[in-house]
Amino acid sequence: MILAVLFANSDGNILIERYCPPPLPLSARPPRDLAASCMRSAGIRRFHGVPAEERLHWRSFLVKLGSENLKGSKNEELHVASHKSVSIVYTTIGDVCLYIVGKDEYDELALAEVIFAVTSAVKDVCAKPPTERLFLDKYGRICLCLDEIVWKGLLENTEKDRVRRLIRLKPPVEP
Amino acid sequence: MPRSLVGGDLAGPEMAQPYMKKDDDDEEAVEYSPFFGIEKGAVLQEARAFHDPQLDARRCSQVITKLLYLLNQGETFAKVEATEVFFAVTKLFQSSDAGLRRLVYLMIKELSPSSDEVIIVTSSLMKDMNSKTDMYRANAIRVLCRIIDGTLLTQIERYLKQAIVDKNPAVASAALVSGIHLAQANPEIVKRWSNEVQESVQSRAPLVQFHGLALIHQIRQNDRLAVSKLVSSLTRGSVRSPLAQCLLIRYTSQVMRESSMNSQNGDRPFFDFLESSLRHKSEMVILEAARKITKMDVTSRELAPAITVLQLFLSSSKPVLRFAAVRTLNKVAMTRPLAVTNCNVDLESLMSDTNRSIATLAITTLLKTGNESSVDRLMKQITNFMSDIADEFKIVVVEAIRSLCLKFPLKYRSMLNFLSNSLREEGGFEYKKAIVDSIVTLISEIPDAKEIGLLYLCEFIEDCEFTYLSSQILHFLGNEGPRTSDPSRYIRYIYNRVILENATVRASAVSTLAKFGALVDTLRPRIFVLLRRCLFDTEDEVRDRATLYLQTLGGEVAIGNSEKDAKDFLFGSFDVPLANLEASLRTYEPSEEPFDISLVSREVRLLPLQEKKAPGKKAPAAAAAPAPVSAVDAYQKMLSSIPEFSGFGRLFKSSEPVELTEAETEYAVNVVKHIYENYVVFQYNCTNTIEEQLLENVTVCVDASDAEEFSEICSKPLASLPYNSTRQIFVAFEKPEHVPAIGKFLNLLKFTVKEVDTSTGEADDDGVEDEYQLEDFDIVAADYMLRVPVSNLRNAWENMDPDSERVDEYGLGVRESLAEAVSAVINILGMQPCEGTEVVPRNARSHTCLLSGMFIGDVKVLVRLSFGLSGPNEVAMKLAVRSDDPEVSDKIHEIVASG
Repeated sequence: MILAVLFANSDGNILIERYCPPPLPLSARPPRDLAASCMRSAGIRRFHGVPAEERLHWRSFLVKLGSENLKGSKNEELHVASHKSVSIVYTTIGDVCLYIVGKDEYDELALAEVIFAVTSAVKDVCAKPPTERLFLDKYGRICLCLDEIVWKGLLENTEKDRVRRLIRLKPPVEP
Repeated sequence: MPRSLVGGDLAGPEMAQPYMKKDDDDEEAVEYSPFFGIEKGAVLQEARAFHDPQLDARRCSQVITKLLYLLNQGETFAKVEATEVFFAVTKLFQSSDAGLRRLVYLMIKELSPSSDEVIIVTSSLMKDMNSKTDMYRANAIRVLCRIIDGTLLTQIERYLKQAIVDKNPAVASAALVSGIHLAQANPEIVKRWSNEVQESVQSRAPLVQFHGLALIHQIRQNDRLAVSKLVSSLTRGSVRSPLAQCLLIRYTSQVMRESSMNSQNGDRPFFDFLESSLRHKSEMVILEAARKITKMDVTSRELAPAITVLQLFLSSSKPVLRFAAVRTLNKVAMTRPLAVTNCNVDLESLMSDTNRSIATLAITTLLKTGNESSVDRLMKQITNFMSDIADEFKIVVVEAIRSLCLKFPLKYRSMLNFLSNSLREEGGFEYKKAIVDSIVTLISEIPDAKEIGLLYLCEFIEDCEFTYLSSQILHFLGNEGPRTSDPSRYIRYIYNRVILENATVRASAVSTLAKFGALVDTLRPRIFVLLRRCLFDTEDEVRDRATLYLQTLGGEVAIGNSEKDAKDFLFGSFDVPLANLEASLRTYEPSEEPFDISLVSREVRLLPLQEKKAPGKKAPAAAAAPAPVSAVDAYQKMLSSIPEFSGFGRLFKSSEPVELTEAETEYAVNVVKHIYENYVVFQYNCTNTIEEQLLENVTVCVDASDAEEFSEICSKPLASLPYNSTRQIFVAFEKPEHVPAIGKFLNLLKFTVKEVDTSTGEADDDGVEDEYQLEDFDIVAADYMLRVPVSNLRNAWENMDPDSERVDEYGLGVRESLAEAVSAVINILGMQPCEGTEVVPRNARSHTCLLSGMFIGDVKVLVRLSFGLSGPNEVAMKLAVRSDDPEVSDKIHEIVASG
C-alpha cells in the first residue's frame, strides 16, 4: 500500500497531500462504512479517510525528515529512510520536495518506481523541474497526474507519456 | 487581496501569467502563489459558473483547480457546501471538453458523495461507462467503483467484467485496480470475475498483467492449491512487467514457505525460478529475489548467489539500491553473520555514505559480522562516524556495540572506552540513557569490566545534566561500589554530588554514601563524618535521609535484632512490585490503622500480554473487566469487610475471572478464585440480562465431590438480582494448610424467577423456582503460584540453597512447536518468565526458559527449563527447581508430572 504522497515547498508548506488509509500501522480500524458513519455522527473530519491528528503527525514527520536531509541535495537525488514498518522515499524536484510513504509490498524499491513516475510526470507537465510558482500554476494538471499514477494506495500508471495522454482523456499508445 | 488577483489559467496547457509583476532585477523577489489569498467562500461563489447554460470550460477548470487546492490544504466543506458543490459539478457532464471532464472525474472522487447523493451521478457515469470513448469508460469505472456500494455493484458488474478484457489497456487496468479495491468489501462479487481476470494475466500490456496478477492472487489467496497452480504456470511463462515479476517472486516464496511447512522433505520446486530472477535485467526484480532467498531456510551454497548480488548493489550509484541491499544484509547478519563477512569491505566504505540511514545500517551490520580481531579497527572508524549522525542513529549504534561486547567479552576495554567517550560528546537524554544502560549491562555481565566501568560512570556524573541518569548511576554505584577492591576511590565522586547538585541528586548521593558506610566497615567512621555534614542541607529530604542513616547505622535506633536487620531495613529491596505498592498506597485512606505492606499484592499483572492473547473477547460485565493493578487490594478489602471471611487471614492470590456461561446467554456468570492459606473463596459475579425477569434468592450450588480435600463451610447467596445489574455470590471452602489441593467444581445456579412488567418496572408477587446449569471449573496448581519476577535470575539462582535443587527429565511427546511446548509448561506452573526467556527464537532446536514465582506459604521458587527437540517435534524437557523449601521443589515436579 502506498500510504501517502506529499508535495511540500522548501519551507515545509504543504502543496498537495494524499493519504490512503490505513495511514499508520498502529491501530486496527473499523470497516470503512462503519468508520464513515461513526465519523459523521461524531462530526470528526477526516481527510482521505485519515484522522486529522495522524495526518499532522505525518506532515511534521516528513517535513522534518526533508529539512534534515534535503538541504543541498541534488535535484531528483533519491533519499530513503524507514520508520517502524513503513518505507519513505523522498526527493527534491526543482523547488518542490516530494515524499512518498509505503508499506508491505511498497518497499523502498517499489516506491522508487512510484517516485520516478511522479517526478517525470511533474517535469513533463511543467516542461522542466518546477519552481514553486510553476508548480502551483500547473496545480490542476499535477493533481490529475497523481490521480493517474497512484490510485487509492496502488500504483496504476508508470510512464509519463501515457500519463500525459491519460490526463487529456486520450487512450494510451501501446508499443 | 481582491478577487481578480486570485486564480489564473491553472489547468490550461500554457504558462500562467504572473499576477504580480516580478522584479526582474531581483531574482530573490517573492513569487506570489496563484492561490494567494484564496478564500473558500469566494471559490464556492465562483462554482456557480457550473450552472451556466453556456459553460465556459476554461473558467470551470480553474474553479475546480481552486477547489482541489482548498481540499488539499485541509479546508473542510460543511455538509451543505459539499452537497452544493457536488450538484454543481455534476452539471459539468454536459460539457464535452476533455480536460474539464477529466477534472470532473477527479472532483467527484475527492468529494466522496454520500450514498443519497451518489444516485445523481450514477446515470451519467453509467452512460460514460458504455461510451465509445475509451477514456470515458476507464474514468467512469474508477469513479463509480470509488463511490458505489454493494447493491449498485451488482448492477454494473457485467460492464466491469467486459472492461477487464477490454482491448484498451487503460480501461482494463482501471477495471482491475477497481477490482482490487472492491474485493475488500465485496469479495464474493469480485470472485465471480475469475475467468476474465485470469485472461488479463496473459495480456501483452505489462501493467494489465501486473494489476491482473495482483487481483487474481487476491481472489485466490485462501486457496493454496490455486495459488500454487497460478505460480507454477507463470514461472514457466514470461512475465513482461518487472512489477508483475516482483509480485510473482513474492507469491512463489509464499508458496514455497507453505509447502515446506507441510512436507518435511524440503522439496523446493520453485527455487530455480527465484535463482534465475537474480539474473533479471530489472534491479527491482533482482533485489526482490535476493531478499526472498535470504529469508528462506537455505544452505550456504544456495544463499551465496543472493549475497553476491546484494554485495554488488552496495556500490550502486543509486541510494535506494544501496539502502535496500544493506537493509537486507543487515537482516541476514542477525541470523547468519558468517554469510555476510565477504561484504565487509563494501560495508566499511558505506560508513561514509551521505545517506545516514545507509551508513547506520552498514555499521550495525558490521558490528554483527565483525570478528574479534577487527573490533578495535571498527571502533576507531565508528568514532569518526558518530560525530555527524543524529541521536536516533547513535542509539542504534550504541545498542549494537553493547551486543557486540557481550559477544566478545575480552574486548570490553575498547568498547567501554568508546562508550565513555560517547558520554562526553553532545547528545540528548535518550542517547545518554542508552549509553548508561549499556555500560550498566556490561558491568553486570562482564566481571572484569566492573571497576573501569564504574569509574567511567563516576566521571560522567561529574558533568551530567540529567537528574534521572545521575540518580540511577548513584543507586547503581551504591550497589556495586562497596564490593570492589578499593571502594574508597568512589567516595569523592559521590560526595561531590552532595555539594554541587540539585536536591534529588543530593538525596540519592546521601543514600549511596550510606550504603558504602553500611557495607564497608573501614570506611564507616569517615562516611559518618560526611553524613553529618549533610544534616545541614537546605532540603529536608536530604537531611531526613542523613538522619535516618546516621541513627540506624550508628546503632542509636535499634531496628530488628542484628545489624543485618538494620541493613535489610535500609537497603533491602521491597519484595513487592512497585506498581502494586503505588496502587495500594493510592487507595490507602488515612486512618487509625497503619498501612500494612504485607497486604500488598505480590503478583505482577501481565495485562498487555493477556489482551494480545484474547483479542475482541470483551468481558461482559463491569466486574469482569481486566483487573487493574489494584484489583487484589480491592478484593482483599472487599473480602475482609465480609464478616464470614474476615478471619481467613491474608489473601494470597485472586485469579482472573473465569467465564462460566457462554457469551450472550440469559444469565452471565463468571467466577474469581480467591486463595488463602487454609481457605478458598469463590466469587461468582452474576448478571441478569433479561429485562422481563427479576431473580430472587439466588444461590450457587457447588458440587465438590471431585475435589475431595475441600469442604464447604459457608455460602453467601443473593437476595435479589434485578435486570442489568451485576452482583456477587460467595462460597467458601476449607482446605488443608499449605497443601496445593486441586479439584473440579460443578456449579448450578438456583433462583426464584419473577415476571417484570417492563412498562412499569414492577415485578409479580409470585415467582417460580428455576435453575441454570453453569460450566465447571478447576482449582489447579497454578492457582497457588504468584507471578513474582526477580531482576537477575542467575544471581538469585546462585544465592539459593543448592540442596533444595530437584532435577528431572520429562518427555512431552509430539508438540505443535517448541514455542507451544514452552508456553504450555509456563501455563501449567503459572510462574513469571524472566529475562525474556519465554520467547523462543524461530527455528530453534533447543531453548532454556527461566521462571520465578512465589508458592503458597510465601515460598520463593525458581525454575530452569531446558527444552530440546528430537525427531519431528518430539519435545524433551529438563526441569531444575530451586526453592526456599525443598518440599516445594518436589511439589513443582509433581505438578509438572501430573500436568
